[in-house]
Amino acid sequence: MKPSEVQDAVATGAVVLDMRPPKPFAKEHVPGAVNFQFNRADLAERAEMSLPHDLTYLIHAEPDPIAKVAMGILSKAGFHVEGYLEGGLKQWKAEGLPTEALPLLTVDELKDALDRYRVVDTRESFEFRFGHIPGSTCLEWTEPWAAMEAVESDKPLALVCGDQVRSAYVASVMQRAKMDAALVFGGMVDWLERGYPVEKSPKKTKAPSP
Amino acid sequence: MADIKEDVVLDARNLLCPMPVVKAGKQIRSLTNGQILKILATDRGSIADFPAWADDTGNELLEWHEEDGTFVFYVRKVEEED
Amino acid sequence: MIMKQFRFEPLAQASYLIGCPRAKEAVIIDPIDDMGAESYVLEAADLGLTITGVFETHIHADYISCARELAEMNDVPHYLDESAANLVKYDYTSFTDGQVFEIGGVRITTIHTPGHTPEHTSFVITDTARSDEPWCVLTGDALFVGDVGRPDLLLGDQALDVMDEATRAETLYRSVKDKLFALPDHVEVYPCHYGGSTCGGVNMSGKAASTIAFEKRFNLAMRKETPAEFAAFVKETAKPFPDDYARIKSYNLGLISKDQITEAAV
Repeated sequence: MKPSEVQDAVATGAVVLDMRPPKPFAKEHVPGAVNFQFNRADLAERAEMSLPHDLTYLIHAEPDPIAKVAMGILSKAGFHVEGYLEGGLKQWKAEGLPTEALPLLTVDELKDALDRYRVVDTRESFEFRFGHIPGSTCLEWTEPWAAMEAVESDKPLALVCGDQVRSAYVASVMQRAKMDAALVFGGMVDWLERGYPVEKSPKKTKAPSP
Repeated sequence: MADIKEDVVLDARNLLCPMPVVKAGKQIRSLTNGQILKILATDRGSIADFPAWADDTGNELLEWHEEDGTFVFYVRKVEEED
Repeated sequence: MIMKQFRFEPLAQASYLIGCPRAKEAVIIDPIDDMGAESYVLEAADLGLTITGVFETHIHADYISCARELAEMNDVPHYLDESAANLVKYDYTSFTDGQVFEIGGVRITTIHTPGHTPEHTSFVITDTARSDEPWCVLTGDALFVGDVGRPDLLLGDQALDVMDEATRAETLYRSVKDKLFALPDHVEVYPCHYGGSTCGGVNMSGKAASTIAFEKRFNLAMRKETPAEFAAFVKETAKPFPDDYARIKSYNLGLISKDQITEAAV
């Protein structure tokens, strides 16, 4: 699809799925695009776990052959995919169309400014329980977009996960909903490597068997 | 490097998080109590994911290390008590 | 280091993906259009690697190259030796003899090994994660497993190529003997062709990998002691010319379009 065609589709409610890795996505992307990293081996499974089925998607993946394969995989998995952005971001920008960026934070920057952010951990609840950033809350990346969009905060949001794949997805959904969200690149792996403090939550006790 | 002899190897390389842990969860069901599962993963998030998963499921993460871009995890199955 | 050899059997052609899993980068060497630029893109993606460059050992005459297309698709350089500038009609990024490229922990060093063609270059691969010594050499069409490249293609068309046959044969002999065989014995040899390919002689092995040591001892052409004996042997053991080689080379040089390759010869 040409950039103008993508724009028209977005105007009627289609969602651009930017399948590049989080770093180039954060640098710049089609406004309102949702980041969902391509990986042939497990794309269908990950999409099944989290992407809403009731939306129409437009793929942005680079280069074009990846977009075509992604379209095939997602369509086969039952997602409604209308097309892909031919020529990627280069083509989009060549037509003078705007892009937006997703703010990035390193774990060091987050640590220094921890009180200025509301940290949201997008991992599974058992990962969160095992060790999370003090004061952070858990919002699993598999939650519906409505749940992500309903997060209220008087402070900017900082999204974390293990590294940054799941958190980039959630951050982009929030950005799409015009929320003030930033991506913590390196996530919990970097945070733990630095030896920064973590909080644990009590383990869920099993319900007694009848 | 630990001298651990694994019973089953799960190759979860080139899978994006959280798939290595998801696959490990499925694979470990086929092991018997005490058996060791060796998992290979390239996703960096695995470093945080596997310790948490082991803790949550009660399985024992014996050791992990990195080899030329691949993370290697050794997990011993601990069967849940009824 | 990640190294993958792709073999296109109908033309007995081998292309390569060489990458660093830590840096998540890879380069493609001698990609063939029959496999399609897309297939290389997907192979790299499946390995979690981004293509950062496309290299060619030389301008091929026996198969259609998709190097330009692959490089453009990924917005990365298409690398050829600097001496190809006189020959090709498109822009490319040149390297010089002995230039070093780093792909994460993988080091690629160019060695100019003319003879089969004037711009022909071999690539020495070092995996610095394991050792600073070279591990493999991609020998293109200079040295094959069991054989050597042919020095007699496109001699008539001086616009396409330089050197007469005798000079080419001697140059090839020296390239292999003085440069490739100067590499450590343990270095693995990975050619661009094998088996039935018409880019070399009848002694080309169907095995697409060897070592410098093995080729030093058992490569019949290279066992000849003088360039003249070598040239005679290579001529005796030559195969028929590759199909459509003149037109394929013209396409790879950027002189004609893809459609023109298959147009009936006038």
